[in-house]
Amino acid sequence: MREIAGELQREYSDALRDYLARPNERALRRVYEMGRGTLTDGVGVLGIAALHHQALKDVIPGLSEEIEEALLIKRAEDVFIESLMPFEMSHRAFREAIAVLRRMNERIEQEAKRIAHALHQEAGGLLASTHLALEELSHDLSPQGSERLTLVRQLLDQMDEQLRQLAHEIRPTILDDLGLLPALNFLAKGMSKRSGLAITVEGSTEGRLPPAVETALYRNVQEALNNAIRHAQAGAVAVMVSREARAVRCSIRDDGIGFDVSAVTAANGERGLGLVGMRERLEFLRGTLAITSAPGQGAELLMHIPLEG
Amino acid sequence: MILEDHVDIVNEDDVIAGRRKVRMLAAEIGFSPAEWAMLAAVITELSRNILDYAGRGEVLFHAIEDGGRRGIAVIARDHGPGIPNIKEALQASYSVAGGLGVGLRGVKGLMDSLEIISVPGKGTTVTARKWLS
Repeated sequence: MREIAGELQREYSDALRDYLARPNERALRRVYEMGRGTLTDGVGVLGIAALHHQALKDVIPGLSEEIEEALLIKRAEDVFIESLMPFEMSHRAFREAIAVLRRMNERIEQEAKRIAHALHQEAGGLLASTHLALEELSHDLSPQGSERLTLVRQLLDQMDEQLRQLAHEIRPTILDDLGLLPALNFLAKGMSKRSGLAITVEGSTEGRLPPAVETALYRNVQEALNNAIRHAQAGAVAVMVSREARAVRCSIRDDGIGFDVSAVTAANGERGLGLVGMRERLEFLRGTLAITSAPGQGAELLMHIPLEG
Repeated sequence: MILEDHVDIVNEDDVIAGRRKVRMLAAEIGFSPAEWAMLAAVITELSRNILDYAGRGEVLFHAIEDGGRRGIAVIARDHGPGIPNIKEALQASYSVAGGLGVGLRGVKGLMDSLEIISVPGKGTTVTARKWLS
């Protein structure tokens, strides 16, 4: 590794010396290819800067007597731009990819909204019609038949409840209609009932937040609660939302077994990916995620999203 | 004032000639030195594709104008096997270089527009435009 680095340094210094002595396209091409090679090898932009800096130290003393300093500096800049160009290309591509991801995320939420609506309204509507039809049918039935029909109707009620819950989890209409806190309360109630975990939701957003912020916080709390239920062996989780002048903050704290933060976020396991997903959702909104935990000490996730104007 | 130029791309020396010529034309049109370097990178990446996939081809570049706007068009043409799936070629997953945003993907980011016409078995024409800002 050190050997390769030394070789690259010699090559770069060589090309720089060549160009500084007499500007030529061949030297620039060599530097461009070196920049491209280091990019694909995973050497960072700081690595290139170090390479360039060392090359200047190697080369300038031998040339400064023949060539004016201002000219050397100008020529060295040409070389530096060339070595950075592959990184510029890469940077632009990533910026575009992030924009694409953001649009995809929005489309997924839209689709979720549509499915939730179909489940809730259309399937729910059909169930209501079924209830009415059964009601009519019950008039024609014997007492025993009626009793059995009641059982069917109870099953239908359960189905209705499940559809409602499913629709809610896919895309809570309550989030669109009433905002973050009511939606979190509803979510906490449902998850608490299913898991036995005590979940409290407190705080205020002091009015509605931008829809993208509400969605991101809701999804992240959902993910965090799922994590707490699945991995934390916690007894209680506290969700706390607070509003600052130009930001909103939300913390999720559990009293479970905790985890090694760097080990979990480094691993490509389901939980690590979940945390990465949470972080990405926040980064779209220029927000941050801080995770505090250690084995045996519970865990706290703190989300912070700046709000404009 | 020469406002167009062209280089046959057969070997590495031609790539260097193409880079030199595109810089000269870019300077003539009024682009900045950083933009000359971008165009040199574009020539390099398009030529690389020609040499790697078709063996030989050509790059052309000329000044363009549109309602007072000035710019440059770079065209790379070959009679190679063509690109079977252009959308894929522009996607991150296509190759290591593509994943990092260099290659054809990188050309797209440095230019204002990129068109690829490719006919399997007949060849590929890539046209990229960049406007003075």
